[in-house]
Amino acid sequence: MAKIDLANQATHLALKTMALLFSHVPGLRRHLRSDDGWINFSLRLMTENGAVDQVITFRDGRVSVAGGPANADLQIVCRDTAVLKDLATLPPNDVLNLLLKNRMTVRGNLAYAQLFNFFISLVVKNQQIRKMRKQAADLRALSSTGAPSRVPAPRSRAVKNLKAPSRDPGVLFIRDDPYLSRYSLNDFPRLKRFLDIHFTVKPVICHERPLLLTGWFRENGFEQKKDGTPWIPELRQGHAFKHLMENRTPLIRKGDLLAGTTTTSEIGVVLYPDSHGTMIWGELLTAPFRHLFPYDISAESIEVLHHSVFPFWIRRNFRERVRDAHSSPLCQSLDERFAVYFLWKTAALSHTILDYPRLLRLGTSGIIREVREELARDREADEVKKATLEAVILCYEGLAAYAANLSRQARRDAANEGDAARRAELLHLSAICSKVPENPCTTLDEAVNAIWIHWIGVHMENTNAGFSLGRMDQWLQPFFASDLEKISGREEREAYIRHAVELVGCFFMRCTDHLPLIPDIGNYLFGGSSSDQAITLGGVTPEGEDAVNDMTYVFLKVTEMLKIRDPNINARYNREKNSDTYLRRLCEVNVNSTSTPSIHNDTVVMGSLDEFGYPPEHLRDWAATGCVEPTLSGRHIGHTNCMMFNMVAALEMAMFNGRHPLMRWDVGPKTGDIDRGAFPAFEDFYKAFCDQLLFLMDNACEYNRLLGEAHSVLRPTPFISGLIEGCVDKGRDTTRGGALHNSSGTACIGLADVTDSLMAIKKLVYEEKKVTLPEMKRAMETNFAGNPLLHSLVLNKVPLFGSGKAEAVDMANRVTGFVHDRFLEHTNFRGGKYTAGFWSMSNHVAFGTLTGALPSGRLAGRPFTPGLTPEAHASKNLLDNIRDVSMLDHRHMNNNIAFNVKVVPSAKESHEEAVDHVFSYAKAYCDLGGMQMQFNVVSSDTLRDAMARPGEYRDLMVRISGYNAYFVTLNRDLQLELIERAEFGV
Amino acid sequence: MAPRKDQALVFEVKGNSLDDGPGIRTVVFFKGCPLSCTWCHNPESKKAVPEIRFDREKCIGCGSCVGVCPEHALVRGRPGFIDRGRCTLCAACTEECPSTALSLVGTPLSLEGLVRKIEPDIPFFAASGGGITLSGGEPTLWLDFASELLRWAKARGIGTLVETCGLFPLQRFMECLYPHTDAVYFDLKLFDAREHEKHCGVENGRILENFAFLSRRCAADGKVLLPRVPLVPGITATKANLSAIARFLTGLGATRVDLLPYNPLWLSKMESLGNGIPFEGRGELKEWMPLSLVEECKGFFPGFDLG
Repeated sequence: MAKIDLANQATHLALKTMALLFSHVPGLRRHLRSDDGWINFSLRLMTENGAVDQVITFRDGRVSVAGGPANADLQIVCRDTAVLKDLATLPPNDVLNLLLKNRMTVRGNLAYAQLFNFFISLVVKNQQIRKMRKQAADLRALSSTGAPSRVPAPRSRAVKNLKAPSRDPGVLFIRDDPYLSRYSLNDFPRLKRFLDIHFTVKPVICHERPLLLTGWFRENGFEQKKDGTPWIPELRQGHAFKHLMENRTPLIRKGDLLAGTTTTSEIGVVLYPDSHGTMIWGELLTAPFRHLFPYDISAESIEVLHHSVFPFWIRRNFRERVRDAHSSPLCQSLDERFAVYFLWKTAALSHTILDYPRLLRLGTSGIIREVREELARDREADEVKKATLEAVILCYEGLAAYAANLSRQARRDAANEGDAARRAELLHLSAICSKVPENPCTTLDEAVNAIWIHWIGVHMENTNAGFSLGRMDQWLQPFFASDLEKISGREEREAYIRHAVELVGCFFMRCTDHLPLIPDIGNYLFGGSSSDQAITLGGVTPEGEDAVNDMTYVFLKVTEMLKIRDPNINARYNREKNSDTYLRRLCEVNVNSTSTPSIHNDTVVMGSLDEFGYPPEHLRDWAATGCVEPTLSGRHIGHTNCMMFNMVAALEMAMFNGRHPLMRWDVGPKTGDIDRGAFPAFEDFYKAFCDQLLFLMDNACEYNRLLGEAHSVLRPTPFISGLIEGCVDKGRDTTRGGALHNSSGTACIGLADVTDSLMAIKKLVYEEKKVTLPEMKRAMETNFAGNPLLHSLVLNKVPLFGSGKAEAVDMANRVTGFVHDRFLEHTNFRGGKYTAGFWSMSNHVAFGTLTGALPSGRLAGRPFTPGLTPEAHASKNLLDNIRDVSMLDHRHMNNNIAFNVKVVPSAKESHEEAVDHVFSYAKAYCDLGGMQMQFNVVSSDTLRDAMARPGEYRDLMVRISGYNAYFVTLNRDLQLELIERAEFGV
Repeated sequence: MAPRKDQALVFEVKGNSLDDGPGIRTVVFFKGCPLSCTWCHNPESKKAVPEIRFDREKCIGCGSCVGVCPEHALVRGRPGFIDRGRCTLCAACTEECPSTALSLVGTPLSLEGLVRKIEPDIPFFAASGGGITLSGGEPTLWLDFASELLRWAKARGIGTLVETCGLFPLQRFMECLYPHTDAVYFDLKLFDAREHEKHCGVENGRILENFAFLSRRCAADGKVLLPRVPLVPGITATKANLSAIARFLTGLGATRVDLLPYNPLWLSKMESLGNGIPFEGRGELKEWMPLSLVEECKGFFPGFDLG
């Protein structure tokens, strides 16, 4: 008792000290004030048993502390006093991990938690930085101990190239060498320079976007105009966007063939305080020192963000809007405990693909003209339609203004340029920007610049999370062809093709100029993910013909030479139309790049969307979004990554009668107490699992719906609405369902773990009766500690998914069928249906750390398998894996899948043999009806060596689940997961 | 347990093999071999009868097996664990064992049963230009069965390959297997007859005759005949032996030979089968063969395509 009292006293004293410091030290006190006045809030700090309960109140520049209970804007509830101590001493990044591990829960506005962390950081910054440096050093030391003793020298990076065995009908100009095998990175010193920057320059948090936008809103009002009348959100966003585009700094990167940058830095972190931007508040002072993905930030940016930006957005973001408008609903609380689902909609809608052919054909002036015509035509238009269309016009005027600024900047740069060749390039750029994107494009140079400048606009409006570029090979081929038709000389043609490769290379490198803002907690949830700007190649044309063309191979060449994680390259392989020559090249690029592009079985992906009855020509124009998910280009808001959904949590909750063990929360339906004889038959248990699944699905969809509404109020997106079919006709923003097609896509995680666990229960408990259900539950509670026999049984005597046993595949299909059918019953805020995907980004690791031992024998805290990849011990035979995955019913997987295969070319194998083998797997998998496949062509030894010697492997790219990342930048858990993945020789 | 007339004893059907012929292959390992090479890398293939294998590394010591053995042949603390004198190969223990430490090596399979295991791999053969490889042990010990298997494959356009130790009745081989196989991978181990008898248990006269005959026929028929030489330090990997083999091959006009570098993985298999390990004290045989030695061996085959 005395000890507990002591803890309460100590907490009081600590807070009191802080109050005194902030009330009296001017250097601290000034941080209590924002551009809008004093920041007022209260924070209650307590333990679960209430023994510690203190409230600190910041009001009008004064800080006071009192004992609880009391109402507060934010409550931080610690499991026990040990957590409280950690809270006081850990650096801000680790504090977030307390949250992640559910040792601490937070109720109320999360921005205040971040602000409070920032205040703490102001006082103890130096100690925090010291700790973070030590952590980083310890981790490095730990990694180097895992190195194998006999590591082969890093595999020679000399890229070998095959010659194309045949020509595709759509390849018109590079017929003598479709694989472009004569080029290597050494031919492009410009690209080499950019690559070096990519791997060495530390990203910088950029405050330009939020400052310009916040300034405009502060001036012109957010909820209401200055005259007190409410804003129509679309129109407000249109004005603000135009202001932003007119006033942002026009920059041209040294030596670049494309004009414009996403931020003011070489590599910048874009801030979206209207979504999750305030999540970095607590880390502003320490972000440069964190171990994973450190960001630099200037003293000016810290001042600007703290005083001028973040306070404005404390309640004006998606999460807090839902919390305020719906009184902290259960569906939100579940999300904020991290263990059962995570909704990306808290940060972004993004995940779509625009109608870029329309931009290239019409230019912004043509788009504006058509919108004006629609306004004139539709006399019945309501206020929202008028406002929406007016907003679209404002946005495209803003984009044109930005391009004009770029044109002027290019001319200024040219005037100061000493090198004649570069001066010519700059003048050429200036001419391009004075013409496009305002006017229709006529050359490849113009088309690529127009898309890039538009792409900057996209990320000024939309969070840089998974917004995707679509079918660039299709859309750029006409320009490549018309440029070449004007050239007759052989050498000139050769020079042009080389230029096209370099131009596309510059575009790829431009796409790396910005990174998503990831608070450190995100490094554990989504390790190493960049913005995931997917580009999709090949497949068929909207008319159904073979779409592989010259530009397909140009993009593949660039992919192979640069080997960068983003843009995320996806390839459609259509068995009926595309050639083996094309598929072989996809496999060769995988071998040479170690992990890209991911390969999609075109007809199967399209078949999975049959149930929606999309017009065939729309369906054939699908492209991957974010990781792998299909979007119908230019007319579909499919928010294909609206949620990461942990199916395994439902299994745990079924075992524990609705209780989630890590959260220690009796939150699900009471489906049966195993210790009191529940579930006499397997079907009874299966039903309980489904009931828990449904409970979580219902809540996740509800939260998604509420967030959808928040998007439409806080951040409608008229800029992209101008390039999504349906929005202008309907006069509705994309966030309000303006697109022709609407849906929401889920990522359902842990299919192999769930299937194997269900198989273990079915076989051992119900069929063979080797163990009772209570015994199985006990094994989960004790992490199999007292029962090695049971652990051995479940690992070795259960037919697992991926082992070639039909009954396990049947079970997996049963689970995917249920998930698919039930998601389809839900409707999102935009009036669309839900699709079910089975890929995981890196959440199979994050959710794994938040999950106890499973009936499958997977131990507590271990990662799930990535995507729907079978367990490494399911079979020694890769063919079993491939067959089982190919036998999954694609109709249940309409948001696609991620099937990872790690293959290791043996030393004695020639490049050609390695490519042949990968080709054979991919070809057979597609023949069998598999949906998607992605390779990691690297050995575990190499990965271990990379952990020990990260300096030598900065560009070693690996595929996580749907996206690529640089291995040496990943968190340790994710690195180990990659090493442990099943490895098959080729 | 003994195979019926229409069955063969098979100890593994291994899919996704990339080292036993072109493309992706499924390898059928037959059990039993007329040779008894001391270093045999598949010691579980030597006897033409099923065996129980005990892998100490995998055992979790749960004792489940001890109680189910009707012969009380499993004795804790006994070296090798299994009293093989008492064991009747009933396999009750291997079924009970949760960790797969105890396993049955060798299952009698009918053609139908074997084909069922191979059929799922057919799409991979088609995509890769692969097929089936008959290996062992020695597939020619099961000539009639192997013949039917090859014919089944050929009828479906599946590639076929036979790996052999070379000791087979030539006429029967030519009738049963040769017409139905695309390729023969033929082991040549020791050229000297006495050495061969010492290390492999039999003389090699028949083997060399068979090879010489096949090398003429295959050349005439456009079939692949690939001689393969296992490199065992101090035994086969000697200058005298390799040079002799090279001369023999040159004399037959062969241009290709595959050298198989030694690895020590078979030693733990020997123990798990209850067999003693030969070469005690020969340290080099407990290690992977150094690359330098492999290169040295290659030097004895000047002008050959070594893969």
